[in-house]
Amino acid sequence: MSLSKIRSLALCGGLVLALGASLTACTGGAPTASTSSSATTAATTATNGNSAAGKKVTIGFSAPAADHGWMGAITKAAVAQAGKYPDVTLKVAEGTNDVNVQISQIETFINDKVDAIVLLPFDGAAMTPVALKAMAAGIKVINVDREFNSPFAARTTVLGDNYGMGVSAGTYMCSQLGSKKDAVIAEIAGIDNLPLTKDRSEGFAKALADCGLKVSNRVAADFTVQGGEQAAANLLQAAPKIDAIWNHDDDQGVGVMQAIKNSGRKEFFMVGGAGSANVMRQIKDDNTVLKATVVYPSTQAADGIMLARLLVQGKSLSDLVEVEVPRKVTLFAPVVSKTNVDQYLPTAFES
Amino acid sequence: MVTGEHQDAPLLTATGVVKHFPGAKALDGVDLEVYPGEVHCLLGQNGAGKSTLIKVLSGAHRPDAGVIMWEGNAVAFPNPMAALRAGIATMYQELDVVDGLTVAENVFLGNEVSVAGFTQRSTVHARTTKVLERLGHANISPNTEVGELSAAGKQIVSMARALSQDARLIIMDEPSAVLDSEEVANLFRVVKDLSDSGIAVIYISHRLDEIRQIGDRLTVLKDGKTVANGLPVSDTPTAQIVTLMTGHEGTLEFPPRQDVPFGEVVLSVQDLALDGVFRDVSFDVRAGEIVGLAGLVGSGRSEILETVYGARRATSGHVLVEGKAVHRGNVSAAVDAGMGICPEERKTQGLLLEQSITHNITLSIFDRLAKVGFLDDAAELAVAHQQTDKLGIVPRDPQREARTLSGGNQQKILLGRWLAHGTKVLFLDEPTRGVDVGARAEAYQLIRELAGSGVAVVIVSSELEEVLGLADRVLVISDGRVLKEADASALSEHQILDLIVEGTSA
Amino acid sequence: MSDQVSAAPASTRRSLPPSVTRNLGLVIAFLAICAIGYFTAGNRFASVDNLMTILRLASIVGVVSIGQCFVVTSGGIDLSVGSMLGLATVWATTGATQYYADQTTWLLMVFAALAVGVVGGLLNGIMVAYGKIVPFMATLALMVAAKGLAEWIANRQTQIITVRGFENAFNADPLGIPTLVWIFALVAGGGWVLYNRTTFGRRTVAIGGNLEATRLAGIKTNRHIVMLYALSGLTVGIAAVMMMGRTMAGTSTHGSLYEMDAIAAVVVGGTLLKGGRGTIFGTVIGVLIFTTLTNIFTQNNLPLSVQQIAKGAIIVVAVLLQQYVAARKTA
Repeated sequence: MSLSKIRSLALCGGLVLALGASLTACTGGAPTASTSSSATTAATTATNGNSAAGKKVTIGFSAPAADHGWMGAITKAAVAQAGKYPDVTLKVAEGTNDVNVQISQIETFINDKVDAIVLLPFDGAAMTPVALKAMAAGIKVINVDREFNSPFAARTTVLGDNYGMGVSAGTYMCSQLGSKKDAVIAEIAGIDNLPLTKDRSEGFAKALADCGLKVSNRVAADFTVQGGEQAAANLLQAAPKIDAIWNHDDDQGVGVMQAIKNSGRKEFFMVGGAGSANVMRQIKDDNTVLKATVVYPSTQAADGIMLARLLVQGKSLSDLVEVEVPRKVTLFAPVVSKTNVDQYLPTAFES
Repeated sequence: MVTGEHQDAPLLTATGVVKHFPGAKALDGVDLEVYPGEVHCLLGQNGAGKSTLIKVLSGAHRPDAGVIMWEGNAVAFPNPMAALRAGIATMYQELDVVDGLTVAENVFLGNEVSVAGFTQRSTVHARTTKVLERLGHANISPNTEVGELSAAGKQIVSMARALSQDARLIIMDEPSAVLDSEEVANLFRVVKDLSDSGIAVIYISHRLDEIRQIGDRLTVLKDGKTVANGLPVSDTPTAQIVTLMTGHEGTLEFPPRQDVPFGEVVLSVQDLALDGVFRDVSFDVRAGEIVGLAGLVGSGRSEILETVYGARRATSGHVLVEGKAVHRGNVSAAVDAGMGICPEERKTQGLLLEQSITHNITLSIFDRLAKVGFLDDAAELAVAHQQTDKLGIVPRDPQREARTLSGGNQQKILLGRWLAHGTKVLFLDEPTRGVDVGARAEAYQLIRELAGSGVAVVIVSSELEEVLGLADRVLVISDGRVLKEADASALSEHQILDLIVEGTSA
Repeated sequence: MSDQVSAAPASTRRSLPPSVTRNLGLVIAFLAICAIGYFTAGNRFASVDNLMTILRLASIVGVVSIGQCFVVTSGGIDLSVGSMLGLATVWATTGATQYYADQTTWLLMVFAALAVGVVGGLLNGIMVAYGKIVPFMATLALMVAAKGLAEWIANRQTQIITVRGFENAFNADPLGIPTLVWIFALVAGGGWVLYNRTTFGRRTVAIGGNLEATRLAGIKTNRHIVMLYALSGLTVGIAAVMMMGRTMAGTSTHGSLYEMDAIAAVVVGGTLLKGGRGTIFGTVIGVLIFTTLTNIFTQNNLPLSVQQIAKGAIIVVAVLLQQYVAARKTA
């Protein structure tokens, strides 16, 4: 029986060790609660009245694995936002790309009888049944970024504007290339077939068409640095002369920039997508082909936390005349260029 | 204890060596004296302690007590590399060569010749060629991948490695077990050359005839103790050696053949052929008869057995059991028709080593004993008890894992499997390989009794003596053809060898 | 609890068979993890609701692991289970399948998922048994191909299940226990009987112990290997139906990396990766150890990345223990 003892001790020890390590990691990294009302950012529209401490609120938060800079920023911003409210207790179950595990996380939140759940699903449709279950249990579900397929599965939905991103990027290019009707415009998309990629490309094409331009060369990458490098290298080979490039995603943009640097090409300008801090600093420095980026807010979940708190406390968005929190919030996709970069840099995410 | 005499100073002396393992005393006072330039044979049944002694001498194990003197100094090798540096090289049964490396790389493995981390190919090749020449095998290229060599070739590489290290004592653990007669003759020539040049050889073998051919002196171990130390081979009769090894009187004897006439033809092989291996093989075996296939390794004898059994798919020809044709290349059809095999490689082809004696015995009948797919443990256990009792399998505990049994008892498990199955035709490929001298007589007796009960038996063995002693009728096979078929009593070892030599040269 | 082959009812019961002690160690390890859960999360951990949450999470990987246990015991490995699961959910939820299911019965979707699983398994089995491709490569090929096929069929979209009967069937909790857990219990129980009490199980263990010896003893080994992979495919089909019931959707990302979870559970449970010895009971405990761990981490608001580290450590410790036991046995 000594063997079993050794085994269980070893397992115990390993687990305790792992738990201990993560506890220190968590307490060390978690922002301390602060009541400061001066922390008003572009994303926080709450007034003093709403941010005043109210009824205690427990919010469960779940998001996919942070295998992408933007996704990592989502959780960081949500945790930071929760830290601003002394009346909010946040339970974070982050980081899984397995819907089965994510469903069980939501089930745990239901068991724990949390007041609200902010959920960025790995797969919107697949997470719908468990969201419906949470709503049925009286929990307010705030759906972020990837939409459920039932309107009853969430009280409020916060979405970025993918079509709007394309429109913003296209409109910016029109403003820069307006007179040049034969301009060569290239597009480096993210993962093709994803609905969001389709939306972005459609918005882009529509805006360009309005000023008589069109996309001459289009390639697709996969949201990774490596994929961006490959797609851009191919694109630069295929098109000897380019006037402008729109790259859908700043994470894959790191690879895209590398490919451009390797080619030594400088005849065009580039517009990014998502809005990483890294890209914004390059825009500010203005010594590369990167002249602008279109924001896809990484503060969506932070907004979700804010809305969850308001919902549970029975408050409304006080600048709206409406007494209830809206059903759906679609965030704007602004263009960030050298002229306004200082305004957006503080809320940009580090990739 | 019986001891022999010698004049020179000994190269290696072991006195009172003791080695314990948890729950067992593997060596319990072993003495051994080896002189330069002699071929010293180490004998003993399985479990007598030979392997442990080798490991102690080669530095793989540390003795718990006793003294080992090497060239007059007491030594304690911490690891095999230290022993090798001192001049003791060991060729294990499972040859420790690396198949993916070349001959030269193997010879210098662990002792690479390099300058600033770069291997010196030309130096290594030149030295390897020299060593191979000394072993009379200049035909092996240092560039050949060892995996492409035969077992004999690998042995030569292993010996070359020993020589390249200036070994003065080479320990060979059953080197002939994987070789055929021709290769064995070549091995003996090499061993003779080595001893002529002053290198001592400790030679381990089960085959007494080999020891007669090349041994100078012999030491016998029994139950971890030396029972005979350095007897001159030429003056020691076989009967005495067997007595020393087994602890009781007796020599190797084959059971007498039966007087009763054989029954009906059970197995009939007609014009069987396998492309590129053998052709035109036809023979019948009657109930109660033992037919032996005699031939060298590579003659096709094992392949014939395997093809009749369906483990290989015949190109043409027919196999009939009791007059009914058996589907070609289909083992389960062969088993259903009443055939069974005890294969050449018992451990890799015959047994489920990690499973119980019961499950090994019932492997081909648990299906039959089961009720609508559900196992019948009680019935299986009854069958296992029946067979362990009948065959005298030791230990009697049917729950023991097969790997814990001796070679002889493992072979009995396989016999039990087919007896339980009710096999009508039994193929035995090298039935006594790895079986103690003491246990062989019992095995022969069992095989004869099996035939006596009406089973048709076909045996293959590389020991001609065994084929001639056991079989009623012998087929001499060479180069994929049956050269001669005759009653065993009408043939001698000499005649068979002559036939094979003529047959292959014709 | 003694479900290993050498532990078949013995005439004498002098000492506990090794399988019992091995499983006992596993059970103690599992209880230790549960104790950690209780000490860190208290009654939130030790509640019926939470027990059901753990079991629901364990069910899908659990069913796949039962099939994997058979394949691993036979000396093989099935890497295709994860992407085959995804493919089965996609195939069973295409517009066409759902249209016909709506016209007839929702069982048509179940049948479609099971059929996809079994056909994939048969393919694996034929490649391994008759094509003589090593299991690792054969199933790796299907893993890649199935993933691609699933993405192609679904056009990388998530297909939502609209067939009403299907939804109702999986929302029921007979006797207060979720349908998913019932299915897992049935598959595990059936697997135990199949492994320990039938000729199918014995053949599996024999093939894993020594394929050539088993073949030469007259057993139709090739046919059995095909059946083994088909069985694994069947469990994948069942798991796909369960996944569809849990998510009401079919997508190529379903089951992603489940092959690794299943193999880890099987090996931690005490099945030898080289074959010849397996345990269904240990596999179930192996699955429960990992899912309970996930649950404890969620309850304590700890990131899953730390759990991956703990998971890795558990696998290493379990394999070291296996080797230790094996070494002690031969000494």
